[in-house]
Amino acid sequence: MSDIIFKIDGREVAAQPGETILQAAARIGVEIPTLCYNQKISKTTSCFVCVVKDCKTGKFLPSCSACPAPGQEIDASSDEVKDMRRTALSLLVSEHTGDCEAPCTLACPAHATVEEYVRAGRNGDFRKALEIIKQRIPLPMSVGRVCPRFCERDCRRNIGGKPVSINDVKRLSADMYYDTYMEDQPALNGKRVAIVGAGPAGLSAAYYLRLQGVASFLFEQMPEAGGMLRYGIPEFRLPKDTLRKELAHFGKMGGIEIRTGQKLGKDFTIEQLEQDFDAVILAVGSWASSSMRIDGEEAAQKGIQWLGDIAGKNWKDCPNPGRTIVVGGGNTAIDCARTALRLGGDVTIVYRRTRNEMPAQAIEVDEAMEEGVKFEFLTAPAALTKNADGSLSLSCARMQLGEPDASGRRSPVLIPGSEFKLQADTVISAIGQRTVVPEGFAASKRGFEISADDFTCSGRKKVFAAGDCVSGPATVVEALAAGRKAALSVVDFLNGVPHKAPYEFNVSRGHWRSLAKEDLVYIRQVSDAERIQPEYIPLEERKTTFHELYPTFTPEQVSGEADRCIECSCTGKHDCLLKKHSTAYGVDPNAYKGAKPISAVDVRHKYIIHDKQKCIRCGTCVKVCSEVINKSLLGMMKRGFHTMVDTTFGQGLPDYCVDCGACVKECPTGALDWKKKE
Amino acid sequence: MADIKRIKVGTASCGLAAGAGAVLEAIRKQAGNIPVSETGCMGHCYAEPIVELELTDGSSIFYGRVKGTDEAAAAILAQSEEGRFVFPEKRSKLEKLLVTRLAGHINPVSLDEYKANGGFSALEKVLTMTPEQVVDAVKASGLRGRGGAGFPTGMKWSFLAAKKVPDKVQICNADEGDPGAFMDRSMMESVPYQVLEGMLIGAYATGATRLFIYCRAEYPLAIKHLTIAIEEMKKAGLNKLPNREAPLEITIKEGAGAFVCGEETAMIHSLEGKRGTPRFRPPFPTDSGWNTLPTAINNVETFANIPIIFQIGADAYAAIGTEKSKGTKIFALAGDVKTPGLVEVPMGITLGEIVYDIGGAEPGTVKAVQTGGPSGGCIPASEFGVKIDYDSLGKLGAIMGSGGLIVIGNNRCMVETARYFLNFTRRESCGKCTFCRVGTTRMYEALERITSGKGSMDDIAFLEDIAPKIKKGALCGLGQTAPNPALSTLRYFKNEYLAHVQDHVCEALACPALVDVAIDPAKCIKCKLCVKTCPVGAIDPANNFSVDNAKCTKCNSCIEVCPKKAVSRVRKQSANA
Repeated sequence: MSDIIFKIDGREVAAQPGETILQAAARIGVEIPTLCYNQKISKTTSCFVCVVKDCKTGKFLPSCSACPAPGQEIDASSDEVKDMRRTALSLLVSEHTGDCEAPCTLACPAHATVEEYVRAGRNGDFRKALEIIKQRIPLPMSVGRVCPRFCERDCRRNIGGKPVSINDVKRLSADMYYDTYMEDQPALNGKRVAIVGAGPAGLSAAYYLRLQGVASFLFEQMPEAGGMLRYGIPEFRLPKDTLRKELAHFGKMGGIEIRTGQKLGKDFTIEQLEQDFDAVILAVGSWASSSMRIDGEEAAQKGIQWLGDIAGKNWKDCPNPGRTIVVGGGNTAIDCARTALRLGGDVTIVYRRTRNEMPAQAIEVDEAMEEGVKFEFLTAPAALTKNADGSLSLSCARMQLGEPDASGRRSPVLIPGSEFKLQADTVISAIGQRTVVPEGFAASKRGFEISADDFTCSGRKKVFAAGDCVSGPATVVEALAAGRKAALSVVDFLNGVPHKAPYEFNVSRGHWRSLAKEDLVYIRQVSDAERIQPEYIPLEERKTTFHELYPTFTPEQVSGEADRCIECSCTGKHDCLLKKHSTAYGVDPNAYKGAKPISAVDVRHKYIIHDKQKCIRCGTCVKVCSEVINKSLLGMMKRGFHTMVDTTFGQGLPDYCVDCGACVKECPTGALDWKKKE
Repeated sequence: MADIKRIKVGTASCGLAAGAGAVLEAIRKQAGNIPVSETGCMGHCYAEPIVELELTDGSSIFYGRVKGTDEAAAAILAQSEEGRFVFPEKRSKLEKLLVTRLAGHINPVSLDEYKANGGFSALEKVLTMTPEQVVDAVKASGLRGRGGAGFPTGMKWSFLAAKKVPDKVQICNADEGDPGAFMDRSMMESVPYQVLEGMLIGAYATGATRLFIYCRAEYPLAIKHLTIAIEEMKKAGLNKLPNREAPLEITIKEGAGAFVCGEETAMIHSLEGKRGTPRFRPPFPTDSGWNTLPTAINNVETFANIPIIFQIGADAYAAIGTEKSKGTKIFALAGDVKTPGLVEVPMGITLGEIVYDIGGAEPGTVKAVQTGGPSGGCIPASEFGVKIDYDSLGKLGAIMGSGGLIVIGNNRCMVETARYFLNFTRRESCGKCTFCRVGTTRMYEALERITSGKGSMDDIAFLEDIAPKIKKGALCGLGQTAPNPALSTLRYFKNEYLAHVQDHVCEALACPALVDVAIDPAKCIKCKLCVKTCPVGAIDPANNFSVDNAKCTKCNSCIEVCPKKAVSRVRKQSANA
């Protein structure tokens, strides 16, 4: 028989008799997405992601099954066709239940692949763990110590217990291998980027620029690099020797130069940088203390500056602040209080709401309390006056909680007639920081206004911004994430391609608070040990020295802790076609809402997990098992929306399953998969 | 007064459901020497059980809604004037009984009676023609498939006839699954030989060697009659066609109740012993069907039409109907009409004639008809003037379908109607293709939200967006037509959707979530019947017969029991309560 001549997207194609449109398209390089097409088995014609349009009849055809007709004109790429494919994917996704990615990884602002580095840690391979961590966290020694652990908040071990102590994997991995680890770097490509500010955001930007072959020059106004890590976070939380070790790595990489003592507006201008460099990234942080807006405020110390001054003296030879009142409830307030305490002060924190509303990390509040910091909750300062003896008197009023405000926290409301006074030698205001946006730049509510698409500052296509100076005061890990994103945007800018934030499709089974213990899916025996607890240095040492609070856990301890990980992410995430095509087609996992079929996860087989919640009902496994393996251990059951693949009487894969894994191999999603993830 | 020659009791499913079993027993007890015979359905299902007295003078007396008592039997045997059934004149004028001419008049399983009434004369005539001539005659008759899609039968037969292979398959599709449709069941129950004669003619014309009847197992009486008829035919040697080595075997395959098995490729899979799921066409069954053999599938009613074509001649047959739709069509008329039943009308009759003149519905009480079951659509009363044929109904967003015709009164909610059908299709989807399996459920859920008062404009927008995509994307006819009930109601009754969503009002007072039950104190006589009937104790006689609408399940028991019509549904008072 002669070839069938037809057209795909206007290109003439000769198909052999029996060849499908999909096969013919593949031959000429037109890629049509499909989930259920599999050349090993008879046609399934199930997913309909492969639809194409017959231009003459206007009909949509599943290209995996339709053979071309002579003279047919096939549209395989128009928006209309893509919309149909997106619709098919959206419908499939609307009945899909699973976790493409583990909740910890999603919770991490930098999207460090937590499950993966925890697994490496479980296997005792901390070098590999570090390698994985550094793909998103270029400052693992610091983050391993100061991170508020977003990942752990969303860890599913929170269900009826405590989360995996994830950050300690990071800390140990970095402590063990940071010095000797050196990432593969491409040769420098000659492009040069100026970065203003050598804090976490600037350093992160420099790191990821370097990994793309771009050199960077960091302009730092302080004598040392590190930003908040150096001048904000006190020694007892992040020893500066550790930080220096960490920063030394940047110098070793080659292509990253840090120039300290360089102040914007004094030593150089943005215009100069614009002229001298291919791009500029502003990462100047949020260093201006917010005002308490009370009379006599000028008599108070400004929290972040006060911490910076002490850090500048390396916590040595600082005067005892005496009776100290710290106003505020955030991490800076706690850091001020604990620093003042270590300098010999008698410290009270004044906060206008209750402990529950404090933005500071709970663990730090606990630690501060242990160390003897006193708290006056529901107390707001009203005025600060200087006494005759040089001491200070802070007029306060008691508050009660009223209606929730925009942030969802209940606002404090003054209780009339409750005024009282607190006496102090030092009052530190630590109620927040903000960014000082220089002239010529647009300011947002919190800092620099940048375009959300490409991180450029408004009106200046060559100037980008990242970190606290854009977001307002945030965490180190958030600054690292922002620095990386800005770097990737700069690379696109330097290459002359429009930047588009990459879309990654993801479905989630939901937050652990919405799940029960029975909802957890185990692919291996998970340790049921309690979460490891740090061994603090003696309390007296904590109160009187700036020694680090506790040592890094041992490898044995961390491996044991990592064994508590449930490994929530999908076994099929690396080869799931539903995820792949949904990502490519920009599918919104919530496009179509509705009930999901009731189906369970079967882990009875020794090696294979049958997660029916992820099944797209294409029946590929059924056909592979019957047509290729000649076993017929799987079949389609039920009808309509509740159609499912199941084993005989739902008894699970039987003993005579030969564990060949053909079903696993051909399953387009993670519905049938090996239980092992590596 | 002439003597009674024979007594006939209609014992098709409709008759039996109305109590014909007891009637038959009572009459047999008293009939003495008068022969009593069972017969099928005449289509006047509303009047069942029906008894016919054949008199010696050749005339007949009919009795309708006969009770299964000795007194009633005695009265009939005495040819009482009371309870006589008279065929409605308007209907008789409009109907054209060709295919159903013998239904309800002969003993279904009696080969002799069928033959005596012209049965197998068509086959006899056919055997004098060449197979090609037979196919041409069917082509000339203009007969189109009565299963719903309306593919020209002669054309389909010619495809099969053209296959020069020794083994070919012919399947009679008797998997009638549309809710409210019972044409095929009635034909198989009442005139099984006529269907079989059509099949034999088909086998002769196409060269088919293997004959199947795929009948849903829920039709036990049809299967029983067909089984007897096949045996009788065999005994009479009617299944021996000239120039065939072996006599034809007709195998009845009982379907397990899946709606989708009415789709031809799914039916073939089911016949092969596989899961009843459709596959992509081409290849069409006439190229590769049952076990890859060339296969033609025709509907019961199509086969029942075949003998008629040869009895009256293809030209005479083609003279009936419209330009593109020939012959008659049997409709299962149901819903809000006075006289539901099976009607056989010529193509080209108007919907209005069926609904008002045949069905006896009062003009003004009907807002739509639903044709074609779950695959069909709702046609508003304003379009009742349209002449029925395959193409005109398609243009209105409905389909001819297999012949289900459900009349929707003003007291019905159109959104609820769409929801009902989508609930049907989403359960009956085979689950194979994404658009149908998931799409119909998502549509159902949106409709469910709207009828329960939780709908939004987003739901309407979603329905309007997804419905055409499902039609374009689904694998088989089930999915490709499943959105029709929603699409057609959105087209003609969007105001009802909007009222549900924007005003939380169900004009028809049909959606329980949007209605209250209220008692009119002016009419109430405080008899407490409603209080006693209410299954949830929602009516408080101590509190002026007030109805606790939070408790009330809107079961209508109180409304039905009230002797003064004081209880009624009203619009929900607090829309969001």
